[in-house]
Amino acid sequence: MLVTNDKLIQVKDLKKYYKKGVIKALDGVTVDINRGDVMVVIGPSGSGKSTLLRSLNLLEEPTDGTIVFEGVDITNNKIDINVHRQKMGMVFQHFNLFPHKTILENMTLAPIEVKHVPKAEAEKKARALLERVGLGDRAEAYPIQLSGGQKQRVAIVRALCMEPDVMLFDEPTSALDPEMVGEVLDVMKELAHEGMTMVVVTHEMGFAREVGNRVLFMAEGKLVEEGTPEDIFEHPRSERLQDFLSKVL
Amino acid sequence: MILTSLISPEGFEKAWRYKDMFVDGLVCTVSLSFFTVIIGFILALVLAVMRLSNWRPFKFLALDKDGHLRDNRFLVGLSKFNPLSFIASCYVEVFRATPLLVQLFIIYYIVFANVPLPGFKFFGNIRFDRFFPGVVALSLNSAAYLCEIIRSGIQSIDGGQTEAARSLGLTQAKTMRFIILPQAIKNILPAIANEFVTIIKESSICYTIGVQEIMYAVASVKGATYRIGEPLIIATLVYFCLTFPTSKIIEHFERKMSVGDKR
Repeated sequence: MLVTNDKLIQVKDLKKYYKKGVIKALDGVTVDINRGDVMVVIGPSGSGKSTLLRSLNLLEEPTDGTIVFEGVDITNNKIDINVHRQKMGMVFQHFNLFPHKTILENMTLAPIEVKHVPKAEAEKKARALLERVGLGDRAEAYPIQLSGGQKQRVAIVRALCMEPDVMLFDEPTSALDPEMVGEVLDVMKELAHEGMTMVVVTHEMGFAREVGNRVLFMAEGKLVEEGTPEDIFEHPRSERLQDFLSKVL
Repeated sequence: MILTSLISPEGFEKAWRYKDMFVDGLVCTVSLSFFTVIIGFILALVLAVMRLSNWRPFKFLALDKDGHLRDNRFLVGLSKFNPLSFIASCYVEVFRATPLLVQLFIIYYIVFANVPLPGFKFFGNIRFDRFFPGVVALSLNSAAYLCEIIRSGIQSIDGGQTEAARSLGLTQAKTMRFIILPQAIKNILPAIANEFVTIIKESSICYTIGVQEIMYAVASVKGATYRIGEPLIIATLVYFCLTFPTSKIIEHFERKMSVGDKR
């Protein structure tokens, strides 16, 4: 497979079957993610968009197909996936902060234990990141003491502490109260403007339009339509997408 | 003289002369329980991790040369076989399905029959060659129960915790050590402490192989005074004074923890 520099992730014919193929969560998805892309994945629930995202760092083990990340086929059993996961930050719908650790410990655990960064250095970096998302004074707090929006901002900077090459967002605002969605989206926008490669599964059509440079529309485990936000939202070609947009917009 | 089951103040007076034996018995029971909990817990931890492990050494059997799933159901089934989990499950089922007394006798009369143990005494009058097989049997038994407690504790932790840790690049082992176990142990602390109370009570069975714990003291005093009621009542009180405060302390911690837990 030809690998060019600007192609960060190449997904080829990715399939994920459950119950021996009765349920096809992913049914042959092929897509390239370029460095600097902000790719937004939309689609009805059950369309496989989360499965696609979770397959990218192998939290979901694909049934078939390949994922080439930075020139390495990570679906090959012989590679050490932990090495590649370090470069793929992930943010979850339900934050998944570690409740028994402080915010600072949440952020420094992986740099210290995985990358063997000296503790003082890891903490300095974590505090600087917290400052940037307006949570500089909460470093010693526990996750339980934070609001949903604050938790998600911590989750984002926790992933950033590992200095990833790509950030994967799995419905990052779906579990938030409406008034907290904005603060999380603002952090994500800032990240996009800094040139971070991002793959975002979301129901926030406003974000997709404003921040995304590419939008994927998925349905029934297949990639139905792909294009710029303008293509997708103003000139939808397929009936499936037109139908979807008429319901969500 | 004949053995009397009547209870009288003089009887208590007579039995009380042997109070040192009860103190020795108490020390022995406490040390028996203490070592059992420590050894049992470590063993249980290993068993629980084995049960939950994801080691499939025959994984390769499921795929043919081209990397496609085989049709052969036997080979596909074998590919999912996890020997570690199987061994741990067998252990747990066998030890939970057989009486402790039988296990104790097998350990003492068969396993240690040909193993010369040093007969030195420690903590006063405790004989090592009796004490040790008792600790081994109790530990093996309680490990089976503790294993199930730990396993349920680990499984009660939200899968998102593992996903978050793994997505940060932590290995499975480090995820277990830094993320899952600290939370799991905190959740199961009350259950572990209850197991501790159970061990204190069940350690009395070691009397049957001559470990000088509280029930052994009862038998000795019975032999010396020809009275059974009074020593038994004293033993009951001693056991109660050991276990009742223990469970009350546990309850206290349970309440304290549930207040702080608003997850």
